[in-house]
Amino acid sequence: MLGLYLSAVVAITMVHDLGALAATLAGVLALAGREALRLLRRALLTVALFNGVVTATYLALAAVDGRVSWYYVGLINLRVVLLTTLTFLAAARIDPFRALAFSPTLTYLLSLASSQALALRRTFEDFRLALRSRSPTPPGLRDRYRHSAAAASYLIQKALADAGETAYTLRSRGFFDD
Amino acid sequence: MHVPDGFIAPQVYLPLYGVAAGFWAYGARRLRERLDEETLPYLAVLTGLAFVLSTVAIPLPGGTTVHAAGVGLLAVVFGAWTAFMAVSVVLLMQAMLFGEGGITALPLNALAMGLVGGAAAWSAFRGLRRWTERGALFLAGLLSVLLPALLVALVLGIQPLIAHRADGTPLFFPFGLSVTVPALLLPHLLVGLGEGVLTVLGYDFVHRLRGGQRA
Repeated sequence: MLGLYLSAVVAITMVHDLGALAATLAGVLALAGREALRLLRRALLTVALFNGVVTATYLALAAVDGRVSWYYVGLINLRVVLLTTLTFLAAARIDPFRALAFSPTLTYLLSLASSQALALRRTFEDFRLALRSRSPTPPGLRDRYRHSAAAASYLIQKALADAGETAYTLRSRGFFDD
Repeated sequence: MHVPDGFIAPQVYLPLYGVAAGFWAYGARRLRERLDEETLPYLAVLTGLAFVLSTVAIPLPGGTTVHAAGVGLLAVVFGAWTAFMAVSVVLLMQAMLFGEGGITALPLNALAMGLVGGAAAWSAFRGLRRWTERGALFLAGLLSVLLPALLVALVLGIQPLIAHRADGTPLFFPFGLSVTVPALLLPHLLVGLGEGVLTVLGYDFVHRLRGGQRA
């Protein structure tokens, strides 16, 4: 599955035909089934800022030279949306831990890091919601600095405490015994 | 600085995968030699932490925000190779677990942010800390952002030369070096200053939590 996804990504970047890319996007959305609209919406939101800036700057600079290519605008946006949608679909169906199965150390690192990332991300979201719920008016720059610092400080302390706990857990289960 | 999928030509990202694969293989070997029952979980949670900290927006006057990457801190605490591998895992997590970042841009992002950024930070810290530790940490954070930004700007800037149609229409990233270098370096100078401050504060913080043990 991973090999198929990677081959598809390489193939898509070698195709420069708008019709073929649009047909491939339709195929990917068909594969996604009921998730299609959600994936497409997520992909559009993800690429909107970067692609928006690149497209707007390209149009502005090319207009000065009188060489605007609508083909290019369509090509780059269609390809990026297609690749991002495909990646979201693959991320939902591929087990990345199998991709690192050749190295137990890396598999362990990815497992622990991703579980930590999810837990810390949830904690940070709680911090963000706490600031919002306690601020009747939008917080000022100073408050946002203090909030960022407090959140980062808490996350670092929690991460280091979790590292110690994990070390004890692994040692007690003989993970490091040869 | 994260480059999404679709802007880099296969003539560039495929060879970059080859280069990165060599460094990943070597880095994995170095990592295995260095990691033990204390440092392995420590590195794993700092990798997870680097991922989450990269989502913490630091507000700037005017309503915009910047994000720390934590590469400088990882490099000065764990060394350049460990930072490279950790950043690569973060990028893989972003691409495959959370659907952020790009799989075609993964080797460029990993080589730029992890290898070049990590090596620059580690070298600056090791080279200068005997004179001024805080200055060395600040420079480590600054360089861990600026040099990768320069490398990414160079790679993006050569895309129109590498991949274009017969009439000159670009097929991937459309802007040349005269646009990409200033467009990436100037904002990242600001980000780098913030990263420098965060590296100084973060190093002090990690040092205190580890009970005074310096890297």
